[in-house]
This record gives sequence, C-alpha cells and structure tokens, in this order.
Amino acid sequence: MPTSTQVAVGPLAHAGSVLDGAQLMAENPYRPWEARITSITPLTENEKLFEFRLIDERIRDAFHHEPGQFVEVSIFGVGEAPISISSSPSKSGFIELCVRRMGEFTTRLHQMQCGDIVGLRGPYGRPFPFDDMRGHDVLLVAGGLGIAPLRSLINNIHDERSDFGNVTIIYGSKNPGEVMFREQFEMWRHRKDFDLYLTVDNPDDTWDGEVGLVTAPFAHLDVDARNTFGAICGPPVMYRFVVEEMRKKGIPYDRIYMSFERHMKCGMGKCGHCQVGHQYCCIDGPVFNYWEAKNIQGSM
Amino acid sequence: MLYRVIDAHELPALVQAFMCDYEVIAPVRSGKSFAFEAIDSFDDIVLDYPTTLTSLKKYYLPPRETLFEYDMVDGVTDYRMEVRPRVLFGAHACDINAINALNLVFEDPRYPDPYYEAHKKATMIVGISCMPGDSCFCHLLDAGEVRSGYDLFLADIGGRYLVSIGSVEGADILEAACDPREATDEDRRAFRDYTRRRQRAFNEDIPSVQEIPMLMDAFHSDDFWEELGSRCLNCTACSSVCPTCYCFDIRDVLDPSGKTGRRERVWDACTSPQFALVTGGHNFRPGPRERVRHRMYHKLNGFNAKHGRYLCVGCGRCVKACKADISPIEVLRFFEQKGIEDGERDAD
Ligand SMILES: Cc1cc2nc3c(=O)[nH]c(=O)nc-3n(C[C@H](O)[C@H](O)[C@H](O)COP(=O)(O)OP(=O)(O)OC[C@H]3O[C@@H](n4cnc5c(N)ncnc54)[C@H](O)[C@@H]3O)c2cc1C
Ligand code: SF4
Ligand code: SF4
Ligand code: FES
Repeated sequence: MPTSTQVAVGPLAHAGSVLDGAQLMAENPYRPWEARITSITPLTENEKLFEFRLIDERIRDAFHHEPGQFVEVSIFGVGEAPISISSSPSKSGFIELCVRRMGEFTTRLHQMQCGDIVGLRGPYGRPFPFDDMRGHDVLLVAGGLGIAPLRSLINNIHDERSDFGNVTIIYGSKNPGEVMFREQFEMWRHRKDFDLYLTVDNPDDTWDGEVGLVTAPFAHLDVDARNTFGAICGPPVMYRFVVEEMRKKGIPYDRIYMSFERHMKCGMGKCGHCQVGHQYCCIDGPVFNYWEAKNIQGSM
Repeated sequence: MLYRVIDAHELPALVQAFMCDYEVIAPVRSGKSFAFEAIDSFDDIVLDYPTTLTSLKKYYLPPRETLFEYDMVDGVTDYRMEVRPRVLFGAHACDINAINALNLVFEDPRYPDPYYEAHKKATMIVGISCMPGDSCFCHLLDAGEVRSGYDLFLADIGGRYLVSIGSVEGADILEAACDPREATDEDRRAFRDYTRRRQRAFNEDIPSVQEIPMLMDAFHSDDFWEELGSRCLNCTACSSVCPTCYCFDIRDVLDPSGKTGRRERVWDACTSPQFALVTGGHNFRPGPRERVRHRMYHKLNGFNAKHGRYLCVGCGRCVKACKADISPIEVLRFFEQKGIEDGERDAD
C-alpha cells in the first residue's frame, strides 16, 4: 500500500530520538545545531575570534573535526556562511572561528554578543593530511585571512610537536595592524617551537618583521625537500606564486597542499556553487594537493 | 526484469487503479504545448505528447522548498513536510534517465538528502515510449533507452503495450487492473519494428560525436567558447527547463513578525553571473564564456568523471528555451566541424 513520506525537523523530532549525535546530524544534514557564543576576542579592526559551544550534548560529543575543515554557520534570519575551523581538534567541546567582517552575514555576526545563539552544521570538507605529515618538516604559508584554517593545523602540530620535524610558518599581511595571533606565534618562535616569518606589504614605524610579499622569505629558506610538506592558504592570486617557490625548493607536487576558497552554500556536494572542473570544493576539497589541482580544469 | 503485454483498451483501467491511492501526474495539453499536471480523468492524458516545456525534476526538487523553520533568537523550531503518494504517468525515457542522474547526486551515500528522499519514496514512475522530435538527441548521449528507475514502462507496439515491469509495486497494480499476458513472437516483432522506426526518426542534422568528454577537455581554451558565451543573455532559462540541472541556493525568509522565519532552497543556475562570486568581489567564472563553458563541461565531462554518465540526456528542452541558440547541440556541431578540419588536414 502506498504511504505518504515526511521529513520532520525540530526539537520535537529529535528530543525523544534514540539516535546518537552522529546519527542525528546525518538524519538531516541541512539542520544547523544551536551553539552558544562563549567568547569573543577582537583581533584586528575587522577580524574577531569567536568561540562556540554546541548546546545539545549528543551533538557536542559527536562533533569532531580535522585541520582544514569548515562549518556552515547560521544566523537565523540572515543565512549561512562557510567558515574554516580555526581551533585545534584537541580543544574539544569548543569550536573557534576567526571571522572577517565583509558583507551582511559577517557584519551581523560581528554584532552578536556572548550568550547569543547561532547554528552550526558540519564539519565539512577534506582536511590537511595531518597523519601523513607526522615525522616530516612542515612549511606553512598563509596570506591574510588564510591564517584562519592554517591556525587549526598549526595549533594541532603544536599539540603534538615532538611528532614533527622543523616547522616553518610564513605569514603575510597587508599592514602590521592586520597581523593576527601575533603574540602566540612570537611566543612559540621564542621557545624555538617554530621558525616564523611575518611579512607585510606596507610597514609602519613599529614594524620589525620582513617587508614584501609572502614569497620573499623563500630566498633565505633552507628546505629539506624530500622530507617536507607544504600547506598554503590565502587569497586566490597568492597560490601560483607560492607553489612556484615551493617547487623551486624541490617539494614534490603531491606534498604541496592548498585550501581553495569558492562560493559555497550546501557544503555537501549538491548545490553546485563550489564546483571547479569536475570537482566539488566542499567535499573533494577544500584542501587539494598541487598534483590534484593541476588536474582540475580551471582550478588555478 | 519481466515483460508482459497489455491491450491499449486496458490503459484507462490502469490509470484508474492508480487514482484510487495516488495523485496521478501526467502529460496534458497546456496552451500550444504540453506539461505534466495532476489529472483526474484518463481522457486528459495525451499519450503521444512531444517533450514537455518543463521537466519532471520539480517533483523531486521543487523550485522553492522549505528546509525548516526557526525562531531568530532560539533556533530551529518544529517543522514537518509531507509528500502524498503519487505517480508520474507517461514519462519519456530521457526524463527517467534524468531522474536517475539526479539520484546519483541526492542519494550520494555521504550525504543522502532527506527532502529528495521523501519525494522519491512517495513517487512511482510509469514510463511511456516516444517518437523523437526535431531537437531530441537522447540516443547520442546514452539516454535514448531506460533500463531502470521506473515501476512500469509501456512501449507502444500498435494497439497494445509491451510493459517492462520494474518494481513489485508496479507489478501489483498492473495485475490488479489489467490482464497482462506473456509476449508472443508477433509482439516481439512489433517491438523490434517500433525500435527501428524510432531509431530512424532521429534528426540526422544533429551530429553523432565520439569521445565527447575528451573533446571537452581538448578544446577547453578554444575561442569557440568566447563566441558561444558572448551570445548568452544570462537568463538561466536553460537551467530551469533542464531535467538534470540541480544547482540551488539556500536562503532565509523572515515572517512578517520579524521574529520567526524559514530556510528555503530555491533553484539556482551556474549561468547566473553571481553564481561563483565570492566576497571581496572575486568571481571564479566572471564572464559568459566561463559560465556557458562550465555548464557544458559539467554535463559532458565533469559529471562523467564522478558518476560515469553524461549529465545531459539530450531532451532538447534548452535547445528550444534558449533565445541565443546555445545548447549542447552547438557543442556537438563544433566538435564535428573540428573533426572535418582534421580530416582535411590529414588528406593534405
Ligand atoms: C571553505 C571556506 C572557508 C572560509 N573560511 C573563512 C574564515 O575562516 N573566516 C572568514 O572570515 N571567512 C571565511 N570564508 C569566507 C566567508 O564564507 C565569506 O566571507 C562570507 O560568506 C561572506 O558573507 P557576507 O554575507 O558577510 O558577505 P556578502 O558579500 O554580503 O555575501 C556573500 C553571499 O555569498 C555567499 N557565499 C558563500 N560562499 C561564499 C564565499 N566563499 N565567499 C563569499 N560569499 C560566499 C554568502 O552566503 C552570502 O550569501 C570561507 C569561505 C569558504 C568557502
Ligand atoms: S545559455 Fe541561453 S537559456 Fe541559458 S542563460 Fe544563456 S541565453 Fe539563457
Ligand atoms: S542540457 Fe539541454 S538537452 Fe541536455 S538534458 Fe538539459 S535541457 Fe535537455
Ligand atoms: S557548497 Fe554546495 S556543492 Fe559544494
């Protein structure tokens, strides 16, 4: 006999559910789960670091991410935006996002207060190959807001520092005022955890780091090419130049990883917005290695 | 798969049997053209209709669909959507193939789509054979015949139908309403005549091209795309009428109170200029050249890489809908022309 079908979503549908957190999230992957803002740290004039805690304990326990993945953030009544997870997976129970104020969504998020509720769904996307990187040197290159996803990787490497060889961070910004997480990075440099190169395009009187493009520090960089992974994140124009430098140092094609930004809506390989060539950035990426990227029509 | 034969005069009884328990959606006359609509009488159905203006995808992916409702302060509130059982009666092979392609996306085991699943589970499909029109080229893209994805498929073999039975549910209704019998030698001959007649009826001006995915790659930077794209009006009609275009946008809509609202998904199109635009103003497909090429590339190459089949079923709807004469047929013509040039060069 034919029967009607239905989709039920909301507190009634999941309150008495026997499903665990992972099953609840899978049951309706479009449903954002309520999360409370637990802390807000202004970083620069336009960037803030938000910390969130998922309210439903089942979801909180089931939520695990890896560096390079992102979430779809909901502001109910405004919409959704894809944002990279900026915290290390080891910081369990809390999720940090570093958000730049751009248009309507991000401006509204910047106006929110601790205790306010947003929605989160995810995590989505293919992460950086953290486990493959173990035992190797890592060269991380961030441009501007590209530091947001790379910070998750950097923090995670720092958590398990003894598993990695030399770790070098090159982080370029337009102006000194736009450099984020500087104190933490400087402290780690000071403790010889990482090599750190901060560069800016437009220095001011206080700037004591390097001046120039993010590629400038490559000139005096010693890279053990056979033992190094590269990880890149930044504005679209940056990739070609940084990849070129890494190739000149001899890092193999398939060990240069980069995170692509595209317009995204669903995060699940359905809405089509994030397509590059035959790939979906949201599920096949956003992290691709250079070899894969070369084999996607129109990717670079 | 089982095949049985029923007489043409048994068809009203079959539709009647569906009507008891299902909403019946079938091709009807609509002004000068044809459309799928809910019917309440067998007599409204036009069995030998030419391709409808719009496709069946709206029954799986409505143009506008609520995903959930919410309170702006506290988050998701209770919402329920329900799909009543229905049958799509009289779908052509290309259109069933199109739904089979959509299934690959929305039933992807990584993220099965609960809304699509609900529509699909409530929907039966009864297919019907057809004769190709001027802009049909399903046979060139492996979509001229359909081998799965229907409950029943009726092939008109003259006064009777050879019925391919695709599901138990379909078999039950067929047996309850009609008196299906096994096919005789004569029925099989009639079926063979029909398939040959149909094969010969395709428009021979539409070129048959081998290795389309390879050519899509080889000519990715050809000036052809500039010329083709420059004609595009960004109207997105092609994607609306296309049975396999599934791109969508997700939007929030506030209720008049300003305190509650709903999240919707609405059809979107990669031919729309903002489709690949990101904040800060960078557009990954800035011009019509890139957008039209992307639409074709996904249909004739990209989808193959992921799912092993074309995302164009050659239904010809966009051929008719596009005021600028942009369609996969133009791409096939371009490849054919290239092939002729190559041939001339070889002869030199
Ligand atoms: C994988 C990924 C990770 C990201 N990580 C971060 C991050 O860590 N921090 C951060 O600040 N920003 C990040 N972004 C960019 C962020 O998503 C956009 O800045 C945000 O969507 C802008 O929304 P808006 O309403 O403020 O801007 P507007 O320009 O007013 O609106 C843009 C519209 O396009 C949609 N859209 C979807 N995807 C994008 C996109 N990629 N860029 C722009 N618009 C998009 C938005 O939903 C919105 O409807 C990331 C983007 C992607 C794809
Ligand atoms: S290709 Fe044709 S139908 Fe499609 S958007 Fe362009 S003009 Fe409109
Ligand atoms: S691209 Fe055109 S011919 Fe191909 S399936 Fe879509 S509407 Fe039909
Ligand atoms: S964001 Fe929807 S397909 Fe990738």
